[in-house]
Amino acid sequence: MGALDIWNRSKIGSGEILRSQIGPLLLWFRKIEDELHIAFERLPEPDTIVDATGPSAVNGVESEGLDWGRWIVGAETNIVQVLPIMPDRPVVVHPELPVNIPTGREALFFVSIPVWVRVLIGEKKPIELCEVPVLILSNTWFGDPMSGQLCYSLRSRARRQIKDSETNPSRAVCPVKIRNNSPRQLDIERLCVHVVHLKTYSGDKNLWTNEVTITFRGDDQAGKIDYSNKRPAFEPIGEMLSEARAPIKDTILKRSIGSFRLISGM
Amino acid sequence: MLLLTGINWSKLITTENINSAIRVIVLLGLGFPLLLFICTLVGKAVKKRFTPQASMLIQKGIFYSGSILLIISVLYQMGFKLTALLGAAGIAGIAIGFASQTSVSNIISGLFLISEKPFEVGDLIKVDDTKGNVLSIDLLSVKLRTLDNQLVRIPNESLIKNQVTNITRFPIRRFDINIGVAYKEDVSKVRTVLLDIAKNNPYCLDEPEPLVLFLNFGDSALEFLFAVWFVKTDFFKLRNSVMQEIKERFDAEGIEIPFPHLTLYTGSVTEPFPLEIVPSKAKKPKKPG
Repeated sequence: MGALDIWNRSKIGSGEILRSQIGPLLLWFRKIEDELHIAFERLPEPDTIVDATGPSAVNGVESEGLDWGRWIVGAETNIVQVLPIMPDRPVVVHPELPVNIPTGREALFFVSIPVWVRVLIGEKKPIELCEVPVLILSNTWFGDPMSGQLCYSLRSRARRQIKDSETNPSRAVCPVKIRNNSPRQLDIERLCVHVVHLKTYSGDKNLWTNEVTITFRGDDQAGKIDYSNKRPAFEPIGEMLSEARAPIKDTILKRSIGSFRLISGM
Repeated sequence: MLLLTGINWSKLITTENINSAIRVIVLLGLGFPLLLFICTLVGKAVKKRFTPQASMLIQKGIFYSGSILLIISVLYQMGFKLTALLGAAGIAGIAIGFASQTSVSNIISGLFLISEKPFEVGDLIKVDDTKGNVLSIDLLSVKLRTLDNQLVRIPNESLIKNQVTNITRFPIRRFDINIGVAYKEDVSKVRTVLLDIAKNNPYCLDEPEPLVLFLNFGDSALEFLFAVWFVKTDFFKLRNSVMQEIKERFDAEGIEIPFPHLTLYTGSVTEPFPLEIVPSKAKKPKKPG
């Protein structure tokens, strides 16, 4: 089973136990008559684990101390599927090194965002049972303390080349293009990506999201954000795995870039 | 009995009076349920578009206006002359106004509270020593539900006069912890450990950044302020987890949290406190007589 074949459907019989691994997250499924039991656990040192397997039977192996949840799904319903979906809040990306974009220039970054896993059951019209983040990101606040937004915080290398990045099935690569249309140099210390508007796609090596273009027009004006409806074209792309949590068609105007001046108020 | 026998029933029970009575019963019987139904419908319609306070005000406004209209209609059907009634109400109003200055003051204070909006229904506020969620903002008082589930009624007048703290007005808050460590401790290490606690606690926000401030050379300890930002709904989780983590990490790192103590100085840095052991004197037995 390849690294990206983990999102396929699997059959679970009564009394059977399946286990799936998506990076540092282990998901356990147990069917007992008309109930489906689900448990999950997280492995230590999550940043180093890139292994992935779809739901597959485990013989007699059951991790001790699992905290099982019960869903009454019906005796006949026996198809389980896990799908990647973007986090439920915007993600503030902190590049390891601050990036500067001179006026009139643009740059493309590849941001690797840990996905959430959505568990579905059923064949024709799958029903969503639960969602769980592969990696627990810390919370952060983006914007003014009186009117900002609660986000997840993510440290990123903000790579410029996709060939540099290592395949990691628990993360989706989000292409972010930043244009500086303001009359001054843009100093990027942090970048807010509204991931709830992003779809996920299965690529040849990586999970992908649709491309985001952020146009910076100055401190006194909101940034212009475009979410592409096309599939990303950086490697052969397969099917769309999940729709955006909050699909958006038009351009939106929001503040997405935190520069030194915005942080310090200088 | 004398009273009843004195009434001329044939004059009282006329077709006109019976019709009026039926109209009053119909007005009251249909009017109030209809009014309540309209209030419920409007409440549901405005619930999603407005804040809880605004939707409550709209509902109450409709109910009170409707009730007044209904009562006026009933009185009119009963044959009361409204002009005379309103005149009497005006005179009575002045008399009642003088007699109930506190209530009038509360009503006017309530109007100020509604227009100024220092808090809304659902906010957590603190008035003097009372802390609770605002249940309703009424004409005379504000009702709070305290954190231990008691109902507290605070007159509007006292809310206007006293300081009111709205704890949950803004989406994020800062939690300040005063910490003292022993004088022998490494200040840089204390700072690093505290920042690490904030970094690893899921309820502490990365930004605004946590703050460690060296406050003072205290009597018994080096005093620090450790301030972390959190989402207002996470207060209890944050408070419990951070306090516990500070104690555990300080124990693990060997950082001493001293209790208040007093050092007696004998006048010399190196020499020990001079102690002299004095043998106890045995009590002499008293002589008899």
